[in-house]
Amino acid sequence: MLYLVGLGLADESDITVKGLEVVKKAARVYLEAYTSILLVDKEKLEAYYGRPVIIADREMVESSSDEILADADKVDVAFLVVGDPFGATTHTDLVLRARELHISTQTVPNASIMSGIGATGLQLYNFGQTVSMVFFTENWKPSSWYDRVLENRNIGLHTLVLLDIKVKEPSLEMMARGKIVYESPRYMTVAQCASQMLEIEEDRKQGAYGPDSLAVGAARVGAPNQRLAAGTLKQLAETDLGQPLHSLVLLGSRVHDLERDYIREFAVDVAVFDEVWKRDYEGKQ
Amino acid sequence: MVNFTIDEIRGLMDKPANIRNMSVIAHVDHGKSTLTDSLVQRAGIISAAKAGEARFTDTRQDEQDRGITIKSTAISLYAQLPEGEDVNEIPQKVDGNDFLINLIDSPGHVDFSSEVTAALRVTDGALVVVDCVEGVCVQTETVLRQALTERIKPVVVINKVDRTLLELQVSKEDLYQTFARTIESVNVIIATYFDKALGDVQVYPDKGTVAFGSGLHGWAFTVRQFAVKYAKKFGVDKNKMMERLWGDNYFNPKTKKWTKSGTHDGKPLERAFNQFILDPIFKVFNAVMNFKKDEIDTLLTKLDIKLASNETELEGKQLLKTVMRKFLPAADALLEMMVIHLPSPVTAQRYRMETLYEGPHDDEAAIGIRDCDPKGTLMLYVSKMVPTSDRGRFYAFGRVFSGTVRSGLKVRIQGPNYTPGRKEDLFVKSIQRTILMMGRYIEPIDDVPAGNILGLVGVDQFLLKSGTLTTLETAHNMKVMKFSVSPVVQRSVEVKNAQDLPKLVEGLKRLSKSDPCVLTSISESGEHIVAGAGELHLEICLKDLEEDHAGVPLRISDPVVQYRESVNGESSMTALSKSPNKHNRLYVTAQPLGEEVSQDIEQGKINPRDDFKARARILADEHGWDVTDARKIWCFGPDTTGANLLVDQTKAVQYLNEIKDSFVSGFQWATKEGPIAEEPMRAVRFNVMDVTLHADAIHRGGGQIIPTARRALYAATLLADPGLLEPVFLVEIQVPEQAMGGIYGVLTRRRGHVFSEEQRPGTPLFNVKAYLPVNESFGFSSDLRAATAGQAFPQSVFDHWQLLPGGSPLDPSSKPGQVVQEMRKRKGIKVEVPGYENYYDKL
Repeated sequence: MLYLVGLGLADESDITVKGLEVVKKAARVYLEAYTSILLVDKEKLEAYYGRPVIIADREMVESSSDEILADADKVDVAFLVVGDPFGATTHTDLVLRARELHISTQTVPNASIMSGIGATGLQLYNFGQTVSMVFFTENWKPSSWYDRVLENRNIGLHTLVLLDIKVKEPSLEMMARGKIVYESPRYMTVAQCASQMLEIEEDRKQGAYGPDSLAVGAARVGAPNQRLAAGTLKQLAETDLGQPLHSLVLLGSRVHDLERDYIREFAVDVAVFDEVWKRDYEGKQ
Repeated sequence: MVNFTIDEIRGLMDKPANIRNMSVIAHVDHGKSTLTDSLVQRAGIISAAKAGEARFTDTRQDEQDRGITIKSTAISLYAQLPEGEDVNEIPQKVDGNDFLINLIDSPGHVDFSSEVTAALRVTDGALVVVDCVEGVCVQTETVLRQALTERIKPVVVINKVDRTLLELQVSKEDLYQTFARTIESVNVIIATYFDKALGDVQVYPDKGTVAFGSGLHGWAFTVRQFAVKYAKKFGVDKNKMMERLWGDNYFNPKTKKWTKSGTHDGKPLERAFNQFILDPIFKVFNAVMNFKKDEIDTLLTKLDIKLASNETELEGKQLLKTVMRKFLPAADALLEMMVIHLPSPVTAQRYRMETLYEGPHDDEAAIGIRDCDPKGTLMLYVSKMVPTSDRGRFYAFGRVFSGTVRSGLKVRIQGPNYTPGRKEDLFVKSIQRTILMMGRYIEPIDDVPAGNILGLVGVDQFLLKSGTLTTLETAHNMKVMKFSVSPVVQRSVEVKNAQDLPKLVEGLKRLSKSDPCVLTSISESGEHIVAGAGELHLEICLKDLEEDHAGVPLRISDPVVQYRESVNGESSMTALSKSPNKHNRLYVTAQPLGEEVSQDIEQGKINPRDDFKARARILADEHGWDVTDARKIWCFGPDTTGANLLVDQTKAVQYLNEIKDSFVSGFQWATKEGPIAEEPMRAVRFNVMDVTLHADAIHRGGGQIIPTARRALYAATLLADPGLLEPVFLVEIQVPEQAMGGIYGVLTRRRGHVFSEEQRPGTPLFNVKAYLPVNESFGFSSDLRAATAGQAFPQSVFDHWQLLPGGSPLDPSSKPGQVVQEMRKRKGIKVEVPGYENYYDKL
């Protein structure tokens, strides 16, 4: 049996009781460590679970899945995913491959940023399509997400922006020369995301948002040192929210007064927040 | 004593109308460096006695030892034309009668023709030297073609006339015929490469664009010089006289009339050229070589030649040399010909701009180049690096095409891969010093205005081999030089003592800088590889590496040949590869690009930097491409310039432009190291048929697309009947008739074949042309010498790629298969070629 176990958002103790039982009795335990990270390291997890854990990087999951699935029809294999196992589309492929090998699978869900973002006080009902933001390079600035944001904004919905992380990614420059050299890990910050968003708006000029559009930056959601910041994109582009992981929500126009009351608390600059809110958001449906 | 000072030269630099930038080009051993000596001697840099022997511009010890030029060498000379008529005759604007001649002596051996390319780029005119006995040879043709495509105007000097007189003892009429034939064959080549912008540049003795002489003896003449003398004597117009002194013109001494027919009253008349020009020369030769003391004296008085007291004692060849040099000094004839007939930078840059500049032809830089404007924006092209006495440092050698360069000026240093608006291959630095290149010496100089050739200190750290220097932020590059030779022969090197490795690595870097053509690289298995144009080129490079650049003892492998991987048919099915996360699928096919298109790309006729619409037109009109396909060429490869194309044939795919860059990177990677033996690919057209992509950019980044694109391209190649291409030399061999048999035997044993065989009229020499696979060419020269008792001299130059015959490279029992296995073994990769299944994913 292949178990896909969600680990939750913050530290080792976020695992569910069911999940922990699976981990304790499984023959092998893999920790997927590239779509997201826990805020604690592997040693701490091993100590908490009381057993060794194998780190599975992107290469292993994508290219040597056979190794993970070996004997899974006879013994139990646990595949640990930070957040919820199906929070992102990535792991459907692993399940498909297991299905091909006639290995049965079972999922242990957990909290994901898709639900955890409710901590900002923005109503989950009012979220539109989720988009992700990649690290721009000098000549690679994909902007297809902009169309999704525009669609959300047109019907007044919030947009959750997931931020790129590069835990163990090969350097593209070296890859094009036929060598695999890993870059040091990088995690996108709210500030970087906000400035990339503004860069694309500058380029597209379709008015999905602007420097004065309100957004909420969230860092380390679910952890004791969780931090939120509300402000205009221009303000957020200059706000440092500290350690990873970060996410960002771009506000839709369909906002409730309760939402305002909740996020005003985190405003970078209350005066600016009030002014923009009054001008651009209040009473707009 | 030096006849001019640096200040005089600097003064002349401000008068671009009086500058002549010219290179001396020819086949190997036709006497370029020796002729150049006569000019250098005129400038007082070497003594008259040594001229013809010193080969001043052969600055390296091995050049002197081997008697061949290896590196091109520049020297600035000061020349004065007599005031009056001569100056008025120059068909372009001039400014006084002082001239600055920047002369570059270039190597004649084919292996070093990249040096010629670098020399031609910075000059406007070329002195083509042709051996009177050997005539127009393969390298004469190559360099002439190179010159004409760079829009460089040629003048010709027929050299080694002394040899025909002393060794072959020909008659005057025979000599005239030899001259006429040689000039004719030069003109045939010039006419073939006719360029409207340059106009008709065929050479004619009666127009003064051909000189005849002997570099070794230091004498030369043009028809014009004699015409000037006789015009006075006969009291006729000089131009009329010039026409009469060449071709079918005869002077009838009985009627005292000029005629066009060669007979009078049934008796043959003597051709005017023979009678008025060759006759005095023959007389001098005859008198001196036969020791007719009396005759010599009368001749000397008649020709108004005075010998110095110590020279009267000379006899034989020594006397001949002295007399001829006083009678017809080579420098006079050559300088006159160059100054009158070669264009000044002002004249030349007007028509050369469009072939020199990559950017729009009406921007600030283009106009600066066109007008050769010293006050314009700086445009300077560095064509090569010259080693300094300080080991590991180089002078950047180049030419100012626009603006003025001075020490301390802050410039943009743009490498060949620079594209406007990007930051790659770009440095902004100050020029440390500007210098004048004087053969083996250098002279510091404060600033250098447009139209001049110079050296720069401190730029070598930022440019690999060549590049553009400018002060204009929006300036495009000057066109990158296209070499007529390719580095097809390679050898690997390793250090004898392991601790010397860092020195070798550093040495390889220096070697790569010092030669325009050599390539150095590190293979997968850690081998250091040096690739050159031919055996000799490689030998010289490795010697430099061992003795100079690295300075450590080296072990050098046997030479091996670079192959190319290609396809012979279309992919039998569409190749599909899935990205590692399986969310992206790429569909690709491969097909042959065609030899003509590939060659056009390699020769730069179809260029990745061309406007895509213009390029599509050429592909559609000349090569039968579909115009829509031709407009959707994503890129060239490898190195964004090679002869493989990636063509987008998808229909309405979302996000396609967001993966284009990654796909292109994968294509560059794949074409640089093909699937068969990790050799570069050639002449393959890849079609992107379709792609399926994940909606979210995070799941289709470079890490997902680059390796997938490569796999898809590999699978498509392996499915399209892959083949191996081997390089083939064009070999030209000069050989006397009786030794011909030996040549055929040697060639046949080496898979070569003769395709042309011509006798040089008037000589027992045959000119044999053959194709010879480079792989079979190692030791060919010595083999040939042995088989012909040392009478055959081959010149080999890379000509084309041909399919390695004998079966599929994927079949280990075929010959190509064995070659592949050997290569893979050498490179330290799995010996068996992986099948397409390794790269192909099922749906």
